[in-house]
Amino acid sequence: MNAQVQITDAQVRELSYAEAIREAMAIALESDPAVVLMGEDIGTYGGAFQVTGDLIDRFGPDRVMDTPISELGGAGVAVGAALTGLKPIFEFQFSDFAALAMEQIVNQAAKLRYMLGGEAEVPVVFRMPSGSGTGAAAQHSQSFEAWFGHVPGLKVVQPSTPAEAKGLLLAALADPDPVVIFEHKLLYKMKGPVPAGHYTTPIGKAAVVRKGEHVTIVASAIMVHRALEAAAKLAAEGIEAEVIDLRTVRPLDRETIIASVKKTGKLLCAYEGVRTLGVGAEISALVAESEAFDYLDAPIQRLGGAEAPIPYNPDLERAAVPQTPDIERVARQLAKGEV
Amino acid sequence: MMRDNQENTPFALRQFTPAQLREALRKMYLIRLFEEGAEESYMRGLIHGTMHLSIGQEASAVATCMELTDADKITSTHRGHGHCIAKGADVGRMFAEFFGKETGYCHGRGGSMHIADVKTGNLGANGIVGGGLPIAVGAALTAKRLGRDEVTVCFFGDGANNEGAFHEALNMAAIWKLPVIFVCENNKYGMSTSAAYATAVKNIADRAVAYSMPGVTVDGNDFSAVAEALHDAIARARAGEGPSLVENLTYRWRGHSKSDRNRYRTKDEIEEWMSRDPIARFRTELIAHGILDEAEAEAVEAEAKAAVAEGIEFARQSPSPAITDVTKFVHAEEAA
Amino acid sequence: MPVEVIMPKVDMDMATGKLAVWHVAEGETVKKGAALFDIETDKAAMEVEAPATGRLHHILAAPGETVAVGKPVAFIYAEGEAVGTSPVAVEEPKVEAPAPAPVAAPVAVAAPAPAPAAVPDSADLRATPVARRLAREAGLALAAIAGTGPRGRIQRADVEAAVVRAKPALVAEAPVAPVATPAAPITWEPQPGDLNVTTRKGSGVPLVMIHGFAADSYGWRPLEDALPKDQALIRIDLPSHGRSPLKRVGGFAELAKLMVQVFDRVAEGPVHVLGHSLGGGLALALADIRPRQVRTLSLIAPAGLGPEIDGAALNGIARAASVDSLAPWLKRLTARPEGISHDFAKAAMLARLDPGLREAQQELGAVLFPDGVQAFDLTAALGRIAMPTLMIWGRDDHILPWRQALAAPGEVALHLLRGVGHVPQMEDPATVAALLGRHLRG
Repeated sequence: MNAQVQITDAQVRELSYAEAIREAMAIALESDPAVVLMGEDIGTYGGAFQVTGDLIDRFGPDRVMDTPISELGGAGVAVGAALTGLKPIFEFQFSDFAALAMEQIVNQAAKLRYMLGGEAEVPVVFRMPSGSGTGAAAQHSQSFEAWFGHVPGLKVVQPSTPAEAKGLLLAALADPDPVVIFEHKLLYKMKGPVPAGHYTTPIGKAAVVRKGEHVTIVASAIMVHRALEAAAKLAAEGIEAEVIDLRTVRPLDRETIIASVKKTGKLLCAYEGVRTLGVGAEISALVAESEAFDYLDAPIQRLGGAEAPIPYNPDLERAAVPQTPDIERVARQLAKGEV
Repeated sequence: MMRDNQENTPFALRQFTPAQLREALRKMYLIRLFEEGAEESYMRGLIHGTMHLSIGQEASAVATCMELTDADKITSTHRGHGHCIAKGADVGRMFAEFFGKETGYCHGRGGSMHIADVKTGNLGANGIVGGGLPIAVGAALTAKRLGRDEVTVCFFGDGANNEGAFHEALNMAAIWKLPVIFVCENNKYGMSTSAAYATAVKNIADRAVAYSMPGVTVDGNDFSAVAEALHDAIARARAGEGPSLVENLTYRWRGHSKSDRNRYRTKDEIEEWMSRDPIARFRTELIAHGILDEAEAEAVEAEAKAAVAEGIEFARQSPSPAITDVTKFVHAEEAA
Repeated sequence: MPVEVIMPKVDMDMATGKLAVWHVAEGETVKKGAALFDIETDKAAMEVEAPATGRLHHILAAPGETVAVGKPVAFIYAEGEAVGTSPVAVEEPKVEAPAPAPVAAPVAVAAPAPAPAAVPDSADLRATPVARRLAREAGLALAAIAGTGPRGRIQRADVEAAVVRAKPALVAEAPVAPVATPAAPITWEPQPGDLNVTTRKGSGVPLVMIHGFAADSYGWRPLEDALPKDQALIRIDLPSHGRSPLKRVGGFAELAKLMVQVFDRVAEGPVHVLGHSLGGGLALALADIRPRQVRTLSLIAPAGLGPEIDGAALNGIARAASVDSLAPWLKRLTARPEGISHDFAKAAMLARLDPGLREAQQELGAVLFPDGVQAFDLTAALGRIAMPTLMIWGRDDHILPWRQALAAPGEVALHLLRGVGHVPQMEDPATVAALLGRHLRG
């Protein structure tokens, strides 16, 4: 299946990642009266990262609902609303705060369809700013995609570009099951081409954003950009890296990853979540147990977050997650057969 | 705080027709016999897991649901068999679910703590204490947002009233003026911790004022008292005036679950409450006021007994789900 | 009827209960709800109440005995009820000891370590999986290969270098000139045995695949990857190709006869047939000879529809003894030379290391395409066959000109692909798979 974005309206403009998400929500609010936004400070304040912006002026407080500071209760209200006919998009102000709502996300939303033998559905979308690099320190900088990716019943996505951010949110809304969207904070201001109108980016499909034969880099969220930067530097040395934008953490696109590793024989996973038991651990295992095993020409490498809470000091903060030079170094070593 | 009435006829006997009252008594018997039947099956090793029985709490369940339609919603607790039956569930499909069969309400995937029938407004029992509170508020939000004339009754226990979710849910229901009625079945104990020990207020209904909604404490084993309190709360919700809190004081005859050794309460206390059986009380009341005679009451009980026996047989005969279907129902089926 | 007193299940994973103590003796009266006996469990002791009022008789379990859940331990008789023999006819076998608590979680099964390459001397060797596979396929011992990777690990490049080094005598010094017939003496001997057939399991009607001259069944890989995973496949290696034994063949008809023999052996019912180039001609011949066994026919640039053929290229491929002499001829197979990568040429050469195989193929080429001309004509067969037939041809085919497709009668579905050369199944497997898929589904 074609992993590219299907575009219904040919007009493409430059929008920021945050604007693209806002546009997706506006389209949803306009076209479906069941869609309702919920979250802290998303109304007049416009959202902590200005994602909802002026939506309250356009759609009113009944559709753009400020909740009290009640993550657990609020998430549960979203679950109950989705169970009974609304399509809520619930924003956590920081992904770290979703920890307060684990009960409703993991015990209720993820499991209601299954526990009720298919007789109910919970079409709720949880979106949250994720990741480090803003100096917000340990409790405002985490990456939980592996935690939630571990829960059957949830779908988990990480858009890396404005176009994907819009397309994945619209896809999540069309999905009858709960979807968790991690938006990287450092990407909110990033600009990129975004088609106008309604389109969806398929959930469960990764994208090969750069073709190459010497090493495969599977990256997610902001790591996609760092991997592309690294690939550009490596190209000058004659090393052509293939970069895969993971897009969806659960379900993983095994086929795209395996096909690429069969081609290059070398795999580097680059992700921000803590390295141990992170998304890269799963990718490494699935490649090692697949037919790609007989094509591997080097041990699989993982670059992930440090085994520490995200530090406050900016140098430490940078050192705690993979940066472009790290990706470049490991990809080069892989390509040259030095690991 | 029960209202006085002029004729000394209990509220329920004035509010409902004899047919409705007969049906209420039947449901109470159905709950009692269902619970006993489930208990028996469990003790014989036929039912997997555990169960949380509501024997002794029948009046609270049935009276609360008297004025609810199929469009109205309930959320329930881990002690939810009575709520399900009160909301119209079929005991055969409930037994089938307990037996893990494909014909159960949840096709054998949920078990005792997750029985639901979304189509008739039963959003389900819940295995997490306090799990149903925000969900009920969500259901009420849907009703208000989509302009549906529906109310949501949220059953919860005294244990849940100390969960953060309780406070968050009541607060949001109040600020958004949602059509939800919070019904606390205070049976004096969470699992083994008494409500008196664990709760900072004497009556759980006292907490209503903190969330700007009316709160009332009633004798949960008095059918009429419960029905009247709910009548007012439901009317308020339907009129768009927002949420209410009703506290039904009641008692569970059995332990928290099947492995409860009952060391945290005395035999005397248990026996004292058992002597105030809500079913016997309601039956006596109906006969005393000429709604039913003894023979009819016997017939009602016999009907319930037959329904339970039939239900167990249905469950026994039903097929189990296929092992290869472990991951069925995790996600919506893909369109072909 | 006395009321049965059973050993009740009181804990989630309880299968048996140990009766700790009786509170009522045989023959004594007990009231419903009163304490009757205690069960001892890993948690605390559990008191069991009497299920009825009456007199206790036929106690079946003594203190300390373990009883299965649901089984009776005694009976309660109503006042005035006659007490006969124990209603339990047969002495229930007592369980000796409480069953151990069931394992809470399944023990994680450690994945078996991947088996080392089947080369006996590889015990202490470090080698990457792909290096092991390539060495195995080339028949080289890992122990004889120097590893240049970390800690002496043998990597892909090391095996490839070893392959090239293994055949130094045959490296050509000058660019190979096209030669119609082999100048060197024939050094190979025909081999016994049936043609090599490999299969891929699936459902439904299988697809028989016949490759072309100087190729082998591995060449179908890109197309196979694009077909539905459940399409059953039967791949036949031509004589003197792939893993088939070397055979001396006098002409096309003899070759076709060999194919029919293997076809009769492997096709258990009507099948679909697909052939490329020379394999296409053979597929057509099969369809003509066994019409009832061939449900549909698919031909990719089939031979036998006209005299013209780039015999020089075919011969150059058959003769080439190194990557450097093979690659230039391989590049004629695709629409553009860039269509063949160095890696592809290397892999292709690895499959042609046996000089006997190369000689046998050259001889076959000389027989089928003497002086660079197709010596057999299958246009009549094409006119005779009646099963649904699909023909795919690249418009930039440098080996067999696409116009030969025009020999096909009107019922044949003909697809001409722009920008595609002699190997559409490698140059555009997705399109070929799509056309083939539709054709097979009918």
